[in-house]
Amino acid sequence: MGTRILLLCALGATVAATSAGARPVATPGVSATEIHLGSSVPLSGEAAIAGNVARGADAYFKYVNDKGGVFGRKITFTYLDDGYDPGRAVNNTIRLIQQEQVFAVFSSLGTNNNLAVRKLLNDAKVPQLFVSSGATTFGRDFRKYPWTIGYIPPYAEEGAIYGRYVVKNLKRAKIAVLYQDDDYGRDLLAGLRRGLGAKVKSIVAKVGYDPTSADVQPQVTQLKASKANVLMIFAFGKFSLQAFNAVSRLGWKPQIFVNDVSSASALMAIVPQKAANGSISIVFGKDPASPQWATDKGVKLFQSILKKYGDGINSRDLKDGYFTTGMASAYTMVDTLRKAGKNLSRQGVMNAATHLTERGNPFVLPGIVIHTTPSSRFPLTQVRLQRWSGNAWRPFGKLISLKPL
Amino acid sequence: MRLRLSVELLGFVALTAIVAELPRFVGDYRARELAIVGMYFIALLGLSILTGYSGQISLGHGAFMAIGGYTTAILTVNGFYGHPVRDLWTIPIAGVVAGIAGLLVGVPALRLSGLYLALITFGIAVSFPQLPKKFDHFLGGTTGKILNLAKPPYGLDTTTNDWIYYLTWGIALVLLLCAWLLVRGKTGRALKAIRDSEVAAASSGISLARYKTLAFGISAFYAGIAGSLYAIANAYVNPDVFPIILSVYLVVGLAVGGLDSLPGLIAGAALIYFLQNHADTVAKWLNHLPALSLDPKQPGISSVVFGAVLIVVMLLVPTGVGGLLRRVLHPLTTRLYTRS
Repeated sequence: MGTRILLLCALGATVAATSAGARPVATPGVSATEIHLGSSVPLSGEAAIAGNVARGADAYFKYVNDKGGVFGRKITFTYLDDGYDPGRAVNNTIRLIQQEQVFAVFSSLGTNNNLAVRKLLNDAKVPQLFVSSGATTFGRDFRKYPWTIGYIPPYAEEGAIYGRYVVKNLKRAKIAVLYQDDDYGRDLLAGLRRGLGAKVKSIVAKVGYDPTSADVQPQVTQLKASKANVLMIFAFGKFSLQAFNAVSRLGWKPQIFVNDVSSASALMAIVPQKAANGSISIVFGKDPASPQWATDKGVKLFQSILKKYGDGINSRDLKDGYFTTGMASAYTMVDTLRKAGKNLSRQGVMNAATHLTERGNPFVLPGIVIHTTPSSRFPLTQVRLQRWSGNAWRPFGKLISLKPL
Repeated sequence: MRLRLSVELLGFVALTAIVAELPRFVGDYRARELAIVGMYFIALLGLSILTGYSGQISLGHGAFMAIGGYTTAILTVNGFYGHPVRDLWTIPIAGVVAGIAGLLVGVPALRLSGLYLALITFGIAVSFPQLPKKFDHFLGGTTGKILNLAKPPYGLDTTTNDWIYYLTWGIALVLLLCAWLLVRGKTGRALKAIRDSEVAAASSGISLARYKTLAFGISAFYAGIAGSLYAIANAYVNPDVFPIILSVYLVVGLAVGGLDSLPGLIAGAALIYFLQNHADTVAKWLNHLPALSLDPKQPGISSVVFGAVLIVVMLLVPTGVGGLLRRVLHPLTTRLYTRS
């Protein structure tokens, strides 16, 4: 037994010899030639498609680097796969801070995943920038978590928009709600109730599903039994797909509202069209699949960047809205880095991120101004409604301004 | 025999020395990775007592780790009657809570053996993650529980990772010593007798009920300690932190380390950690082989590499690293012993 241990010693020594030591630097992740950003996103598992946000951002950073970078510094973007599992997101984030020594964490994806790392990032005073989750807490609780800022429109406000739309346009609505039973789905539901105001009783049924469950068909069946004529799908990834399939299979014909994060054109195009047609959602980015933007400069730029700098891109990716969302936030990130100036510090970049007034981001709808102040940390607060018809989303109505909080 | 004992003790001292010195040679983050290897090692020690020595198969040890992890999370976040408990003190408590759960599982295990026992324990692993979802106010649901990141106590001047490393490996060495004392004494002989033949063991006066339950309790205690340390290191628990597959990985680590070889389990622990987290590096190495080209960034590559490495390891060393070492060293050590 003892000799075995001795051999293990030798093994241990070899492991030690091959590992390189890390050395501390003044501002981690910043040198004269480089800015290192990190992110944790799902690249595998059922939410893998949403990881395209990071791939889109990566392509944009490479494009910026080719044009000289930010004050001569090239952006290195390290994004790690967490399979949409918060435990792995924690591990990835610790690895990004400690081993990769990133300057900031940018656009990590998922509500639970970002909640799980928020405390440790704030304790370490590492910026948690432009979180890819619309949970209201990321923009609202800045007093407790000053190193965190959101990006996409807050889910609660999105729910409220649907509520107000129903009140105004669908007088005899009886609403059924399918929602993901975590902070993400519950945020949307709470917003819907607020938007409905006095009409909150028109919600006749609501059923949550567990984000680790296999199928939501049982929940949809249950909702149909309530005889509702409006269905809210506050779901994610495969679950919204399953919800549309179930609605179609059951021969149910409600007016469907589907939340932004699960309304990607790529997804809508493969669900049964007799259920999908007429569905309503919100939009803030230019959807590259929409014929409306076929000749748009921003979308053209998006496609040329993705073709040239994207990693393993196919023709379908050029019409994938997750990539545009990623580029939109990368555009804001680069703007923020420029604003933070030549002497880049973590405090400086937080200061820049909370004093943004960005007009003309080519990847979001015309007219949208990305605006933040230290006490208003919701960069994207303007959206339009859109309706699915003829295999594409078609925006309607004017820009709506959200008033978070 | 006395020489053998002193060689084993010498080995233990050498291992302690390596553990103490290793962080000087590796980066800070690497220390964290080695700490997690240490946690797997602790869980494997427990599993080895149960499976390697008493011959009872458990496919549910991830659940005992989860019990330990959740105990720590609840005690540090919710506190005990409103008083948050220091993370350090929750470690033994987590071990005891998991150990009690293990004893309870050990009772039905008396009536079942082999495949049936494996299925029961697998059932525990499958059903456990539902509990936090059911009692989400208390256990945090899928959102999980967020702990404070561990800090070195009493103004110790080390990094968090070094602290977690020394904490884990300190506990691991103590538990290794305990396991070693246990298996080389009366209890170990009784467990091995039960493993080899229950009938023979019973007819020699060994209480099956007592020893089989005890083995479950001890091994769950070890898993609970490991889970508690894991929760502290990760500063986060939710059901996905202790997935069903974790139980399977532990069995894999046990088989790779060698069923009844305590120090060999370090290799098993290292393998399951590195294949889970660095399969892309292994894929890059494999590309040096002729006629192979793997894309390390391809989704799913880690599972493929994990499976392939496992098959190769089991083909080459079916008795695990422990068995391999024994075979290599046998001529040497027998000569050593006969001389005494």
